[in-house]
Amino acid sequence: MNAFQSSLIHDVFLQAIASLKENRLRTILSIMGITIGICAVMVVGTVSQGVKKYIYQELDTYGLESLWVYRKWENQDPFRSVREGSGIDNDDLKYIRSCCSSVKNVTPVVFSDENDITMRSKGTYTNVNLEGVGVHYADINNDTITQGRDFRLEDIQRRKAVAIIGTKIRDELFGPHSNPLRKSLRWGNVRLTIIGVLDVKNRDILSQLGTDDYDVNKRVLIPYTLYQQQLGSKDIHTLQAEAVSINETEKALDQLTEYLNRRHSFHYEYVTESMEGWITTAEDLLRNISFVGLIAALISLFVGGMGIMNIMSTSVVERTREIGIRKALGAYRRDILLQFLLESTVVSVIGGVLGMVLGIFVGFGISYLSGYDLGISWFTAALAVLVSIAVGMISGYYPAYRAASLKPVDALRYE
Amino acid sequence: MIQLHAVSKSYQRGDLPVPVLKKISLHIKKGEFVAIMGPSGSGKSTLLNILGCLDAADSGMYKLAGKTIQTANEDELAKIRNRKIGFVFQSFNLIPRIDAEHNVELPMVYAGVPPAIRKKRALAALNILGLADRVSHVPAHLSGGQQQRVAIARAIVNDPEIIIADEPTGALDSQTSHEIMRIFLQLQASGKTIVMVTHEEEIGAYAQRIIRVRDGEIFNVPL
Repeated sequence: MNAFQSSLIHDVFLQAIASLKENRLRTILSIMGITIGICAVMVVGTVSQGVKKYIYQELDTYGLESLWVYRKWENQDPFRSVREGSGIDNDDLKYIRSCCSSVKNVTPVVFSDENDITMRSKGTYTNVNLEGVGVHYADINNDTITQGRDFRLEDIQRRKAVAIIGTKIRDELFGPHSNPLRKSLRWGNVRLTIIGVLDVKNRDILSQLGTDDYDVNKRVLIPYTLYQQQLGSKDIHTLQAEAVSINETEKALDQLTEYLNRRHSFHYEYVTESMEGWITTAEDLLRNISFVGLIAALISLFVGGMGIMNIMSTSVVERTREIGIRKALGAYRRDILLQFLLESTVVSVIGGVLGMVLGIFVGFGISYLSGYDLGISWFTAALAVLVSIAVGMISGYYPAYRAASLKPVDALRYE
Repeated sequence: MIQLHAVSKSYQRGDLPVPVLKKISLHIKKGEFVAIMGPSGSGKSTLLNILGCLDAADSGMYKLAGKTIQTANEDELAKIRNRKIGFVFQSFNLIPRIDAEHNVELPMVYAGVPPAIRKKRALAALNILGLADRVSHVPAHLSGGQQQRVAIARAIVNDPEIIIADEPTGALDSQTSHEIMRIFLQLQASGKTIVMVTHEEEIGAYAQRIIRVRDGEIFNVPL
């Protein structure tokens, strides 16, 4: 930085502060646009980044490498009634491990079409989400057992009447923080012994987005063999599997459907789902939300830019004589241009920093009111400052150009 | 030092060009103190603006300190104003929000002088003009005479060869006017060439030579 520039910057800051003071109301009104725009950018950034973090956390509660295969529902498959059953049975399980190299683990999931399954302990009843599962279920779903133990192979093989329950079931039947292990749970005629409790899972955002309307904390897991015995069928309703890695998800799905089609001679049509697909859906949704927010932010930044252009134009007119003096004393055209550009940038950045601070407060407010800790997006904060610099330079350019183009003799004569 | 040959200038008023200067030729030697006098509308201010490189002539030849001015571009003119010319105006033309010292530093800012040297030279110039105790006053807190002395300090701080003064005493009382003229005589004694526009005979009398302008023409050049 040479002598001229360092002195200029000092001078420009003085002038920017002076014009802020001299025309307080006008300046405040003008930078308010920038402030609101940058605030909007901050809020959009903070919310979308915060929500993204939560969605990923929640998606991770399914296991990011998870995938599902099930037969097409009745309303989608006109041949559903032609052939009974779910299209997946116990014999399939034996071969899947050997034929599908991209599948790391697989668990059958058996459930019933009944909507309300009620269970009872002593005199207390509660609705449950009953699922018959295999030994790898907890592993694939990133479930942790906080009390007791997971299923063992012998529980499955011997159709033991044991259950692992969600925290809400525990709280409702036995009370919060109680120990339900070895207590019993009545399911019709069956008396289940509780061997474990699942850790609590959070899917608030996903359930609000409507992707999932069942309460994950009201699950009761039992050996799938036991469930099949009660239903009197060897059907497996869904195969849930885990791919070797997230990139192999598609391959794992192809291998599974190819295997099932071959084994059942193409009698059934299968539907596949993967976490990867859900992640894409979630990201599309977030992108749409961010896009709408950014449009709003851009409009207010544009209005803010016009405001800055307005005060800078006025400032150039008011200081015509000063420009004349500076030119008479030897200022080059570019010196004047730089001075006014820097001044509009200073004003804009003041607005931008105010907007950033305001945005951080609004972000905290949203975090507080919504109950989600969204955090602060420092990336967005940095972006906000860069954007306000850009707005200042762009909107200051025309007035600065006009100032620089003034003829010294005309500028000096200006009253 | 200053050579003007057949310089003309006219302004557009509506569709008609109104001639302000008609083929003026003039020669000013180094170290001369010249007053340009004439009634208002005579073209004396336009002539001074052209001499100070603030305005361009329509035609004719102008040479200043060996440089041909009529062909110089905007940046070259800025550099000439910065290094060769010091300006003193009727209304002082100080920048209102900055103090005396920083006003005096301005020409050095545009000349790229480092801050420490700028400060030293500005204080020295203000000291010569008897303003050592006024360096951190803003123009509004200075009397007219003091403001004009700040302006003179600013005009000489880059050590120019020529001082261009446009009615330097026009806004001052007569006692202060004579003080300012005595400073001009000292500047002339130190080797500066001074060209001053005035309409007061008393002030013009300080100059060695008076150039009288009327209707865009020089009509009398007393020796």
